[in-house]
Amino acid sequence: MSTEVISQIDVDRTRGDFSYPEQHTFDAGTGLSHATVDYIAEVKQEPDWIREFRHKALDVFLSKPMPTHWASKDLENIVFDNIRYYLANSQRPTRSWDEVPDDVKRTFERLGIPEQERKFLAGVEAQFDSEAVYSNMKKALGDEGVIFVGSTEGLKEHPEIFRKWFGKVIPTGDNKFSALNSAVFSGGSFIYVPPGVKVKHPLQAYFRINAENFGQFERTLIIADEGSEVMYMEGCTAPKFETATLHSAVVELVAMKGAKIQYVTVQNWSANVFNLVTKRAIAHEEAEVKWIDCNIGSRLTMKYPGVVLKGRKARGEVLSIALANNGQHQDTGAKMIHAADETTSNVISKSISIGHGRSTYRGQVYIPRHLKGCKNNTECDALLINSTSRTDTYPAITVRGSRNSVQHEASVSQVSAEQIFYMQQRGLSEAQAMSLSVNGFVNDLVREFPMEYSVELKRLIDLEMEDSVG
Amino acid sequence: MSLVIHNLHARVSGGQEILRGLNLEIQKGSVHAIMGPNGSGKSTLSKVISGHPDYEVTSGEVLLDGVNVLAMEPDARARAGLFLAFQYPVEIPGVSNANFIRAALQARLKDGEELDAVDYYGDLYKEMDKLEIPRTFTSRSVNEGFSGGEKKRNEVLQMAMLKPAYAILDETDSGLDIDALKIVAAGVNALRSPSVGMLVITHYQRLLDYITPDVVHVLVGGRIVRSAGPELAYELESKGYDWIKDALTEDVHSEELAAV
Amino acid sequence: MPSRIPMLPGSSIPHFFMSDTFLHDAPTAPTTAPEWFVTAQRDAAKRFETLPMPSRRDEAWRFSNLKALDPLDFTQARPVVQELAKQLLADSIGFEASLATLVFANDRLIANHADAHLAAQGVIWLPLEEALRIHPELVQRHFMRSESAVGTPKLLAHHQASVRSGTFLYVPKGVRLSAPLQAVHWVAGSGQAVFPHTLIVAEEASAVTFVDWFKSSGEGRNMACGVNDLHVGPDAKVHYVSVQDWNRQTVAQQSNTTAVAHGGSAVHLGLHLGGVFARSESVSRLNGSGARSEMLAATVADGAQEFDQRTLQDHRSPDTWSDLLYKNALYDTAKTIVSGLIRVEPQAHHTDAYQKVRNLVLSAEAEANSLPGLEILADQVRCSHGATTGEINPEELFYMQARGISEKDAYRLITFGFLNEVLERLPEEALRKKLQETLRTRLQGH
Repeated sequence: MSTEVISQIDVDRTRGDFSYPEQHTFDAGTGLSHATVDYIAEVKQEPDWIREFRHKALDVFLSKPMPTHWASKDLENIVFDNIRYYLANSQRPTRSWDEVPDDVKRTFERLGIPEQERKFLAGVEAQFDSEAVYSNMKKALGDEGVIFVGSTEGLKEHPEIFRKWFGKVIPTGDNKFSALNSAVFSGGSFIYVPPGVKVKHPLQAYFRINAENFGQFERTLIIADEGSEVMYMEGCTAPKFETATLHSAVVELVAMKGAKIQYVTVQNWSANVFNLVTKRAIAHEEAEVKWIDCNIGSRLTMKYPGVVLKGRKARGEVLSIALANNGQHQDTGAKMIHAADETTSNVISKSISIGHGRSTYRGQVYIPRHLKGCKNNTECDALLINSTSRTDTYPAITVRGSRNSVQHEASVSQVSAEQIFYMQQRGLSEAQAMSLSVNGFVNDLVREFPMEYSVELKRLIDLEMEDSVG
Repeated sequence: MSLVIHNLHARVSGGQEILRGLNLEIQKGSVHAIMGPNGSGKSTLSKVISGHPDYEVTSGEVLLDGVNVLAMEPDARARAGLFLAFQYPVEIPGVSNANFIRAALQARLKDGEELDAVDYYGDLYKEMDKLEIPRTFTSRSVNEGFSGGEKKRNEVLQMAMLKPAYAILDETDSGLDIDALKIVAAGVNALRSPSVGMLVITHYQRLLDYITPDVVHVLVGGRIVRSAGPELAYELESKGYDWIKDALTEDVHSEELAAV
Repeated sequence: MPSRIPMLPGSSIPHFFMSDTFLHDAPTAPTTAPEWFVTAQRDAAKRFETLPMPSRRDEAWRFSNLKALDPLDFTQARPVVQELAKQLLADSIGFEASLATLVFANDRLIANHADAHLAAQGVIWLPLEEALRIHPELVQRHFMRSESAVGTPKLLAHHQASVRSGTFLYVPKGVRLSAPLQAVHWVAGSGQAVFPHTLIVAEEASAVTFVDWFKSSGEGRNMACGVNDLHVGPDAKVHYVSVQDWNRQTVAQQSNTTAVAHGGSAVHLGLHLGGVFARSESVSRLNGSGARSEMLAATVADGAQEFDQRTLQDHRSPDTWSDLLYKNALYDTAKTIVSGLIRVEPQAHHTDAYQKVRNLVLSAEAEANSLPGLEILADQVRCSHGATTGEINPEELFYMQARGISEKDAYRLITFGFLNEVLERLPEEALRKKLQETLRTRLQGH
């Protein structure tokens, strides 16, 4: 029972809210142009094909309109000209914690990164603004052929694997923000797990924005070869600046035949971050991809992790928890594209809206014709805490053909006054009662999280609930 | 040391007055029963004492060992030692019984104090065994999908775990068959002690066969109209409530005369 | 047996337009039409010309086949000849036990039959053009006053600019009509556009049931661009049924708004059978506390038919209730879209709103799209939606076959049962039987 240890672990909602003075060796300046792209490509000493890829992507980004015909108008408040697109001190992450520069080290130590690595992780990468400052993996995994490096290192040192899959799951023009990322990406992880290798402990990446007006654009590519297994976890924080910050990542996963990938996100950006992320996986025959996605922070998150079920009997799953407090809009969901027979997908989404918070579920389930035996099950449950809270659900389901089965259910509920009274009668304060109810609401989903994350999550929910009553 | 209810007037917020000058004193170590016809205000009394937000006290006092609890939040009253066994226990999806009771106990500790998990489960299992509650109960959500008997047993279990100074049992017999009633009553009897005062609210005398009260009160029209020993329950059972209502009419008449 | 519907002399039918194209530049209003109406038509004509056609980028048109819907392919319908009118009248069976019937052919009234008691009770039962002449203020108060929200202003403007007849039904306070009233709308010829209109105003504590029948004469490719607006007064009850049975070439667009005042209740049931591309938009607005609305549809889609259904359950007051059940049976290469939104406004606490979409796919090539949406801005609400798409349960099929029913019959029986669940929600028994008979006929051959 994961809740047993809640009170023994000290997690602070505000623990990410600090920053150290900036001293950047590499700075692409403010604003975005082809010159910015050239600067990044030069600093990173990238091959020509990547430079060309970036320039094309920038053109796509500039030509695409903002998707405000369906998405939040808040997107219009992003001023692309005021953003800094590349900031770094060094081009190579260290393998040793001791070599990490002091202020950066202090940052990640405050966030508990090295501690967690010792405790339960198989490998860690820590990104500070545009570049990874630390990257390390247990030696045994390297001996088995597992690759876990930054994306820059991946594209230079493992081009034969990298190039084959890079940009193939999420094409540049998928959406305006995937194009932006493709133009200016830096950092993120590249992981390759050879056939049959089962990585027992999670690999973790930690993303930190430290500079004001900065845009973080990491790019992650994970390839799990036939019959292999891997779990990847990411966490993120940023200080609370006066101005808005942009985080726009692209994450591509490839699960080859029979492989299993679990991708866990606990997103806890500060409440001025636009978090606009494209995440998609391809699952080949009998492969299994599970996105576990938890969004607590940010000003506006738009993120709909997807799985393209490309091989027979592939399975895709999205488990999503979103918590929207005052000033926050969690616009999250899932995309399940069935492209082979007997593929199954499962989406469970739970959202909680507090105060003036707004949570939105957007989903797409697509089963084209001539397929048989495909199944999708989607459940969306929304919990409203205050009378000012808002929730929306916008699924789109297309099923062609008669031999598939799709089921979608959504509900909206509140914590009832009777529940709260019952718990108060047993001696719990109103806030405690509310927390308990909310934790109860997400409980079955939280159980799916790795232990350490579920503890943190419950604690974060408690902290978010404290000010919501009354 | 007692729970004193003094001249209590209360109504559903904005509605008709339901309790109209109710007086009652429950000493620690004693068991009082309140009986009354439907609509007499029995359930209102339990809700008002425990601080249900739907009810409004227009005058009077509820003193718990000398402290007026009416200004306190429901949870503060509970921590002060007041326990209500609900007539209709509420379902709380996703919250396990073990975590719930644990959280309630933890709420009674000082800041920084931690409930010992081993002791807690030891106590919990002991009390569950007494009430013949299977171990699977701990991981089930609070009252969700419980039968009537299971819900009432859960109320008694919580009472045993939270060790109140004063317990109000609101129609604990409703919805129970005779076997379940015996188990629940045995559980309640086991909790009788010099340090607990109990108020058993019931419509029927049946429950009082198993939980013998020291004093029986009759509640009609929002007031206690008769108080006597356990024999009063039998009298009510054989004569029905009309008998007492008729008697009451005379009382009211004389009261009115007195007022003139 | 069909009741005999007396025919009106053709000369009494007023003409709003001399022009029969959609340039709308010089509409010649009849001397009888009130000025507000003429002005409104002129403004609508301008809007129709200047507003853009919707695109699939508009959420209200996502997945829709806009190519099928070009209003400029059609011209305003010309009157039918006398012999055809007679024939259509004979075929206008509708619901036999109705209290009153209007029959239209290409937007011209060809018959009006009404029970004499209606007028005695103060019920106003008139073709729209007559209502405009006799009760101009009453019509003005309600005519196209409700915003659609799920369609497009251009097509609504098209309707308003071109409407020339329709049903006006006013039920006074406390009058509860014992049997349904109905209208039959025919379109004949080819390249013709009709603009059926139904406006029902039910005053406080009144009750009425009304049926619109939409039918084609011949196999010509025509367009119908209709509007039906229901105004349900306090504690009033309006049950509205539409049976859309256009021919398989017709392009249809039907826009409904149902406004329910406090304590009122509405049932809106659509039986969708015809058309090559048929779009129906239905909006229920729960304006007063205690208002209730049931939105029901049963659709049979076969061949290359496309049914595009858009709904909105708009809760604007506390303690309101709505329940939507849309069912589609899909054969061949047919396609359906059901896009529904439950919106609970910030003040509409204690709302119950439900939405269910069920698709039964009976061929490998058919496509069902479901877009069930929720926007909840209040609390203490109970809202849920569900959408399922699947095939016939093989166990059910086997059970029927084991009782000696052929596979084909079993399929048809199960499909009928699937859609009949929607019809069963209609309380009027005789009318329900009529709809069941119509559905059974439609399923013959499958």
